Amino acid sequence: MAAAASYDVIIVGSGAGGGMSAYHLTKSGLKVLMLEAGRHYDPVKETPMFNINAEAPLRGVSTPDKPFGFYDATVDGGWEVPNEPYTVADGSEPFIWWRPRMLGGRTNHWGRIALRFGELDFKPYSRDSLGYDWPITYADLAPWYDKTEKLIGVSGAAPARGLLNTPDSPPGCLMESAPPRAFEIFYERAFRAMGIPVIPMHGAVVTGQMEGRNTCVFATPCGRGCAIGANFQSTTVLLPPAMATGNLTITTDALVYQVDLDKAGKAKGVTYVNRKTGEHHSVTAKSVVLAAGSGETARILLNSKSSAFPNGLCNTQGMVGRYLMDSVGTGVSAQFPALEGLPPTNDDGQGTQHTYVPWWGYEKQKEFGFARGYHIEIGGGRRMPSMGLPGIMPDDQTSVGDALRAKLRNRFGSVIGFDGRGEMIPNDDCYCEIDPNAKDKWGIPVLRFHWKWGEHETNQAAHAVKTFLEVIDRLGGTPEPNVETDGRKAISKGGEMIHEIGTARMGHNDKDSVVNQFGQSWAVPNLFVMDGAVMVSSPDKNPTLSILALAWRSADNLATLAKQGAL
Amino acid sequence: MSTKTPETGPEPYVSKIDRRTALTWIGVVGAATAAASAGVVVYGPKTGGASQAKGYGTDPKLNPPVKAPWPRLMSHDQLQTAAILADYILPATATAPSASSLGVPDFVDEWVSAPYPDQVKDRPLILDGLGLLGREVLKGDAAQRAKALAALPGSDFFKRFRALTIGAYYTTEAGFKDIGYIGNVARASDPGPSEEVKAVLERELQKLGL
Repeated sequence: MAAAASYDVIIVGSGAGGGMSAYHLTKSGLKVLMLEAGRHYDPVKETPMFNINAEAPLRGVSTPDKPFGFYDATVDGGWEVPNEPYTVADGSEPFIWWRPRMLGGRTNHWGRIALRFGELDFKPYSRDSLGYDWPITYADLAPWYDKTEKLIGVSGAAPARGLLNTPDSPPGCLMESAPPRAFEIFYERAFRAMGIPVIPMHGAVVTGQMEGRNTCVFATPCGRGCAIGANFQSTTVLLPPAMATGNLTITTDALVYQVDLDKAGKAKGVTYVNRKTGEHHSVTAKSVVLAAGSGETARILLNSKSSAFPNGLCNTQGMVGRYLMDSVGTGVSAQFPALEGLPPTNDDGQGTQHTYVPWWGYEKQKEFGFARGYHIEIGGGRRMPSMGLPGIMPDDQTSVGDALRAKLRNRFGSVIGFDGRGEMIPNDDCYCEIDPNAKDKWGIPVLRFHWKWGEHETNQAAHAVKTFLEVIDRLGGTPEPNVETDGRKAISKGGEMIHEIGTARMGHNDKDSVVNQFGQSWAVPNLFVMDGAVMVSSPDKNPTLSILALAWRSADNLATLAKQGAL
Repeated sequence: MSTKTPETGPEPYVSKIDRRTALTWIGVVGAATAAASAGVVVYGPKTGGASQAKGYGTDPKLNPPVKAPWPRLMSHDQLQTAAILADYILPATATAPSASSLGVPDFVDEWVSAPYPDQVKDRPLILDGLGLLGREVLKGDAAQRAKALAALPGSDFFKRFRALTIGAYYTTEAGFKDIGYIGNVARASDPGPSEEVKAVLERELQKLGL
């Protein structure tokens, strides 16, 4: 039994942060107990790689049980997890919270977009007096980005461009992306005419030869997971080598709800409830790493109350749960006559976009009317048909027979979707706290979210929609019906981009932050946070690669402290 | 299906669902008598079926994918009508099969019988529509059938049924072939689009002044 063994470190969570910490700490010779709230998950056996929609219930459409479609890898609901509610405060704007309950967490289904934060991203306050600066610079994290890219396998190699705040990876870090698909060649020309760069996407997919890894077969959607481990998942890339050290023990179905302290005020372990049996267990170790995801990490801290910390662990300054951020999401799709009747071509590709548009407006923020920016993720092509297929001809609700078949053949692959993913500036109206009344099935108090987008975000959303419409117009396309141009309505819901971060941020001291630059908490020196909760700002770049790099850097520091006997 | 003629009317639709699966649904709604008729798939009864039906849950088996577990609600007549309408929308051609031969009526049954909100919303529209249409197309002669079908386009029922038929049809391997989807095959590399595709694109881009 886990409780009987002696561990150096307990890691709560098995996703990007937990998986990476376990990878490094076990390789450093530390004995690690990993506690995962969800069930065991084996991507090799469970991934539906080549199954077509006709084999799935309801042809694979989204349902409340499988909100991203039947074949999405997520176990246990995503937006609504059975027996584990959360609440949104009265008067708040909507907030939704995606949680899987499986080994590897969200890394099993994530979009595999692996962009580095840039130099400006770490010092946003210094640039425009908004938000907060990180206690580290790009240069501090750059070596860890290099190592992370080489470990997990990232495509997108290209000659260095030197674009502002859009880091080029050093030679040897990235593999080449698959060539642009037909629609990617097509849209690039419109952006070029507008003076906006289109560059290779950085995707966590093995597109070339990599030792110990299978190369992508350029066929199936990454969101299902990957049975051959050709993309990055904690369960295929980080946990197997960690297990191979003999230093890792994994306990699944273990929902941690409390960090336990000894009399000296140090963390002595954690307490969890087994989600299947309802039994409660306490386990001990010399140090504790929280990597349960920003929401759950904050919940554990806030529920860990003691006489020394009556408002929750590490929360003496009331900072836990604060500075909650997400990405700004917008999207417009359109149909393009110029793409009709293209000869059949295989657009499956490497799962991620092959190219994308990095934010280009750093010099024009005043003119645009918002601070910070967004990048554009663009999807399209002749992808495997779904129940959404009739959407390629909204103008035709009547044709049948040969006319219908001909129109579908002609229109197939002629729709492109443009999605903005942008930076949000932290504000005082966005945070989570413990709901005074609501509890989960096991009686553990749950999170209550508060959300309100700021004007910088809603103006940004309006700008993104305007940009998409201009691009669509230049390409001769017809936008989807009823495009919302009001940024306040076009913007995504809080949490909807599943980039919620920043509830236990890092900083310079215990007055401005919960943890230091290595995720070590100010209040309890052997308690660490190694997930997105530590983030100080929410750059437009998707956070997973940065969570991995920060976790590796923090785990390296933890291992050093452990060897020094400092924990 | 290929032998049907206007004079004799369409061949009866034979469900593509295997009997064992169908008996499972009947078991769910407790129709002991239906199970007694050996070798015959009986649709219904309806009592309690919809309200008791459960979805596949938040952790369904994906590989291989589970079958939709809920009992089916469509009657024999509704299935037959669905087959006639699905084949009006997508009849067989020289190179592609008919919608009914790909089991589209069974899919419509799976859809309208499902316990999820989107599908529950479609249920009365589809079932009522099939009921009304059935009176015209199941008993009348070929001319009456043709007239009843030709009168449908424009109605909400037709729009929805047609969308379901298109989706169901083109998510099959036969549908992939008909529409020109050539992916979902393992490849050693992705060479990108062919020179022919690039040439077409270039022509189109030039027309757009790009």
